[in-house]
Amino acid sequence: MTQHSSRPGLNRRQLIKGLGAASLLPLVGGITPFAIGGQHAGQVVVIGGGFGGATAAKYLKRTNPAIEVILVEPAEAFYTCPFSNLHLGGLRSMHDIAHGYDELQDRYGVRVIHAMAEDIDAATRTVRLSTGSELEYDRLVLSPGIDIRWNALEGYDEKAAEKAPHAWKAGPQTELLRSQLEAMEDGGTFVMVAPANPFRCPPGPYERASLVANYLAQYKPKSKVLILDAKDNFSKQGLFMEGWERLYGDRIEWVGLSGDGRVTRVDADRLEVETEFGTVHQADVLNVIPPQKAGWIAERAGVTDDSGWVPVKPDTFESQQAEHIYVIGDASVAAPMPKSGFCANAQAKVVAAAIAASLESRPAPEAYWTNTCYSLVGPKYGISVAGVYRVRDGVIAEVEGSGGVSPANAPETTRALEAEYAVGWYNAICQDTWGTPV
Amino acid sequence: MPSFRFASHASRRGPLRSLVHAAAGLALAALAMPALANEPWQRLDAAQSLLGDSEPQTQGLTLDLPHVSEDGSSVPLTVIFDGELDEGDYIERIDLFANANPSPSIATFHLTPLGGKTEISTRVRLNETQQVIAIATSQQGERFATAREVRITVSGCLVRNGGEMPDSLSNPRVSIPSGLAAGEPGEVRTLINHPMETGLREDDDGNVVPRHIVERFSVSLNGDTVFEAELRQSVSANPYLRFFLAPQESGEVEFTWQDDSGETARHVAELDIT
Repeated sequence: MTQHSSRPGLNRRQLIKGLGAASLLPLVGGITPFAIGGQHAGQVVVIGGGFGGATAAKYLKRTNPAIEVILVEPAEAFYTCPFSNLHLGGLRSMHDIAHGYDELQDRYGVRVIHAMAEDIDAATRTVRLSTGSELEYDRLVLSPGIDIRWNALEGYDEKAAEKAPHAWKAGPQTELLRSQLEAMEDGGTFVMVAPANPFRCPPGPYERASLVANYLAQYKPKSKVLILDAKDNFSKQGLFMEGWERLYGDRIEWVGLSGDGRVTRVDADRLEVETEFGTVHQADVLNVIPPQKAGWIAERAGVTDDSGWVPVKPDTFESQQAEHIYVIGDASVAAPMPKSGFCANAQAKVVAAAIAASLESRPAPEAYWTNTCYSLVGPKYGISVAGVYRVRDGVIAEVEGSGGVSPANAPETTRALEAEYAVGWYNAICQDTWGTPV
Repeated sequence: MPSFRFASHASRRGPLRSLVHAAAGLALAALAMPALANEPWQRLDAAQSLLGDSEPQTQGLTLDLPHVSEDGSSVPLTVIFDGELDEGDYIERIDLFANANPSPSIATFHLTPLGGKTEISTRVRLNETQQVIAIATSQQGERFATAREVRITVSGCLVRNGGEMPDSLSNPRVSIPSGLAAGEPGEVRTLINHPMETGLREDDDGNVVPRHIVERFSVSLNGDTVFEAELRQSVSANPYLRFFLAPQESGEVEFTWQDDSGETARHVAELDIT
């Protein structure tokens, strides 16, 4: 039995190399017990070390430690989008939302390579890295998150993002937007441009507006928040608006699609935006959350469709367009599941089970997913929406009667408890995903 | 960590797998072309009664809608005709249908040669996953049909609570092109606030909210009608319309909306041809 037995066209030299590798394994330690007996369970490459990718790598190893798992992620520290709004609002440091890969390597035996995946050849099942080396895979997991559709909104390109940050990938953009907020004069207007569906984290823009308003109320009380939205409805809208009124009075103004809220042109140099019907809004700090698409490597893999996102088979999240490539998280079309970190984590577990089964030629176990999106309207004011999802009639559907949203007009104690639950949720999912101790 | 396999070009298995992919691709392409008797417009009475005995052409008319929409109350739709017509002929009518809506007919657009470019956008209500159908008719009676499936999901993170809605025609908004040459098509966008009550919805007390919709929208240039739309319940609240005009001369453009209570709203703009 060799590790390459299922793959045709293999030359003799590699076969020997493979055997040599297996014979070295006892020296490596106890991390791949099944391989010691010469059984190779398959090689899985995971691209992207966020909620989806890190969870997939861990749960593949938990399901079958004999599977060789390689995680490709350029960053040594991953900053989460969840809770990055707390940094913007001055409530958490960037350090508090950074996570590393020690547990995956040291405890689970995942090989973590800090490089960019630059190309994927689905025909030869290889991934080319920015280091120049290539990785083979039996199964590939893509969890690349989002990329910005530069210029889909007139005037908004990479250069514009240095002046009008999107801050929709946590990291330097988050810090830039925070520093702009800190530098803003009292009496200024924070203008946020919110995108049409679908986009990463449906309640995210509105939590951000809330926590910015919270900061302004304390430190720059004459300042305002203006949200210009390309939608008429948004996630937890009633709950957000109730909270805004209670906590911030009229500090936050929201203009929806039918009120001429859709921005069609950005002038980042002048911090100016123009709407579809010609209204020009002047910002002091301009946060443009632009249209998005699946992370770039998904395009290279040939798994995106004309929407820019990745259609997947609902029960396994395997690409509909390329065999043996599984795509999870924000990049995939999983609606009605939202593009959330929690969903990516839940999808990763389904994919880990499906891949482990497929490598043993077993059918995938029946899938279901859960999701909760907590949002902070204020530091002590939390709201949430939850859902349970299963495959019904060949598509993902919310289980009837599952989940729901926080009650309207609830007492302060309920909101305060949910704010605590939000922190508990964050700590728990980061521990599950990266092993970050609480 | 020697047990991890790095690729070696000697082990590529490209050609065989590519063939398999190509074959699968062909099979998919075949599936994407449904048998004639099974076209969505042949299964919808409203579309059939419009078409009569005529067999529509299937090339030239395109519907652009998202594959998946997370908000069935407002799905962006664009219909485009770029097919071939005899000289002097033009598309004078486009009908839109949603085959699984309680009332399938969405809207009818009436166009003139002054459109210059046949491309119309609006926002529609889709009750559930279904086929959206467009049928275009030329002035000389040529017919074109197309359909597109849209999956509607109810996303738990996109719970609708509804904003404030005016109960009559208000805030007409218009964007017209500037700096057009004579005969050059320019984009016109219009938006008006109106609840577009379907007559099917119940209020919080369980009473049916009576039907109340904008029924007609028309645009004239110097007194001549250049674009008209008949709207029905499946057009989203706050009707939005985007279309093209290719005027030969400068003049006054008048926009009129009329709802089923007889109320009208007007907006007048000056169009300059350079």
